[in-house]
Amino acid sequence: MSPQPAPSEGGFVRHVVTFGRILREAGLEVGPGRISDALTGLDCLDIRNRDDVYWTLRTTLVSRAEELESFDRAFAAWFLRSPSRPPYRGTLPIDKPPRLSERTRTDRTGTDGRGGDEVTEIGWSRHEVLRRKDFAAMSPEEFAQLSKAIAEVAASRPLRRSRRLRPHSRGRTLDLRRLARRSLARGGDPIERTFRRRIEVPRKLVLLCDVSGSMEAYTRALLLFMHAAVGSGRGVEVFVFGTRLFRLTDEFRTRDPEEALAAAARRVVDWAAGTRIGASLKTFNDTWGRRALTRGAAVVIVSDGWEREDPALVAREMARLQRAAYAIVWVNPLKGNPEYQPLAEGMRAALPFVDRFVAGHNLASLEELAGVLAGIERRHAA
Amino acid sequence: MFKTIDELEAGLRSARYLPERGLATALYLSLALEKPLLLEGEAGVGKTEAAKALAEATSSRLIRLQCYEGLDVAHAVYEWNYSRQLLHIRAAQEGTVSEQELFGPEFLIRRPLLEAIESKEPVVLLIDEIDRADDEFEAFLLEMLSDFQITIPEIGTVSSSRRPAVILTSNRTRELHDALKRRCLFHWIDHPTLEREIEIVVLRVPGIPDRLAGQAAAFVQGLRQLDLAKPPGVAETIDWAQALAALGREELDAGVVEETLGSVLKYHEDFAAVRDEALVALVEEARSVAAAGAV
Repeated sequence: MSPQPAPSEGGFVRHVVTFGRILREAGLEVGPGRISDALTGLDCLDIRNRDDVYWTLRTTLVSRAEELESFDRAFAAWFLRSPSRPPYRGTLPIDKPPRLSERTRTDRTGTDGRGGDEVTEIGWSRHEVLRRKDFAAMSPEEFAQLSKAIAEVAASRPLRRSRRLRPHSRGRTLDLRRLARRSLARGGDPIERTFRRRIEVPRKLVLLCDVSGSMEAYTRALLLFMHAAVGSGRGVEVFVFGTRLFRLTDEFRTRDPEEALAAAARRVVDWAAGTRIGASLKTFNDTWGRRALTRGAAVVIVSDGWEREDPALVAREMARLQRAAYAIVWVNPLKGNPEYQPLAEGMRAALPFVDRFVAGHNLASLEELAGVLAGIERRHAA
Repeated sequence: MFKTIDELEAGLRSARYLPERGLATALYLSLALEKPLLLEGEAGVGKTEAAKALAEATSSRLIRLQCYEGLDVAHAVYEWNYSRQLLHIRAAQEGTVSEQELFGPEFLIRRPLLEAIESKEPVVLLIDEIDRADDEFEAFLLEMLSDFQITIPEIGTVSSSRRPAVILTSNRTRELHDALKRRCLFHWIDHPTLEREIEIVVLRVPGIPDRLAGQAAAFVQGLRQLDLAKPPGVAETIDWAQALAALGREELDAGVVEETLGSVLKYHEDFAAVRDEALVALVEEARSVAAAGAV
């Protein structure tokens, strides 16, 4: 398996190694192991056949479907040295937009670490006023004090019963493996009974957040909530939408919330613009729902329901979502106002498919949301 | 076994499987480099079929592990035959059963992974829908795929005399561990081109009229251009073509499509989208595309 190059092929080896470096720059994870696989692979075939070289490099150097496009571009640029179309013809199931915008939406002056620490020292009770204060009405300083509390609230997750059995003293299923072993000492009499039972594990959680203009006052708080939810363990996916849908799970894996929000701002091109809820949900159902991401997941949609386009599309896509999801929670900051009525057409279209409808305009309501998520069951009345 | 990609392609073809060049290359490299191959792609593009065909082409035994949530070592690797153990203890005189005796190979139930490693004959190990298994199992699998050995505490370490060819498939319901991906070659299977899909239909549905095969394939290709909840895969094309051939059809028309569309589309919304005029238009297009192809 050693990729020792024949002298005449030295140039080609260098070529492949450099190509690996280009791919790394394009964001692919190409370690020495993969390069070695590529070279060994190329050794097995006639490298004059350009198609086979392409497929060999692709099979050995790419490890996920999202990377195929970058790979094709790099391959065309490096090996073909032409902007011609590479052999890969398919359409990717992923919506990977170019990072067009460098626009960040809020100034981040008020959110340095100083204020955050204060919250834990002082405790919650003295912040009762802040707890009830609408996010939209907060000063940056007040907001900074709350960001840590938001993160704590987000850490609670809905549970589901795993199919895995674990030893448990009050279990219902006999643990035959232990039983047999323990009976050995007693001549085969199962005197000590051992049981197993199902344990509870976090349920998949899918968070979809509206970042359009009408939501601007709340996006920051809600995204902080989502960032903390991602940090709470595996199985959390975050998407945001305005006029189109973006997946931010990877950006939100960064521990530092400010860094995560900045990365998100670089990814998303239409902060504070219009809303196309139906179209965004459709993209979600088509690309992610089809891969069963939503199956059995608790889905949280954060939006005020102002749909610019066809509310019928919202209804249709909500119906699809509802069939796959375990439960749908809709968070609408406007609901914080006691006189709120779901008048927005998009909201009205979505409501029949929503299991729980909560506010999310201040810390207290986020606590309520966390409580709803922790105890969620299927098909609550909205 | 296969010296070139062409030879492997011919082997798969005789197993009635027509891979695109890229898939053939990936399978070839997986054998040549003795590395597991991770196959991804939309449902119904033939991921599982590829493993079956590879087994047939290499005259290997196919051992399949279907993954599901909660899959554990007892169902994937081995389990002790407890009832036999208990009976054995009862049958023997008290005190004469040693632990060693009780945990010997004859009380072992072999599950797919252990079977694949112990096998003396060549094996293609298909680990199907790995994304459905949970993280813990993935970590275990990672260990097994790196050195192809399994340790059973009571017996010792079992290692493979020859590395099985390993194919993993995933529907991408969740992201797999990077470490696992690093161990594997990767290939994304696309929907086939029209020409290739016609070939596949002709190969898999013996006796189907050429014209019908062309029209059916073109119709399905047309469906994939639509905005459907679940676009049909090759598997659906084959099912459908079989249904059409069984009905003794020579050609596609709107009536027969409407009657048999259930083998192609699996969602109610999709049925609603392919109705009446839309359906007639699709049939027309398929007929003209197929006719153009035949000329």
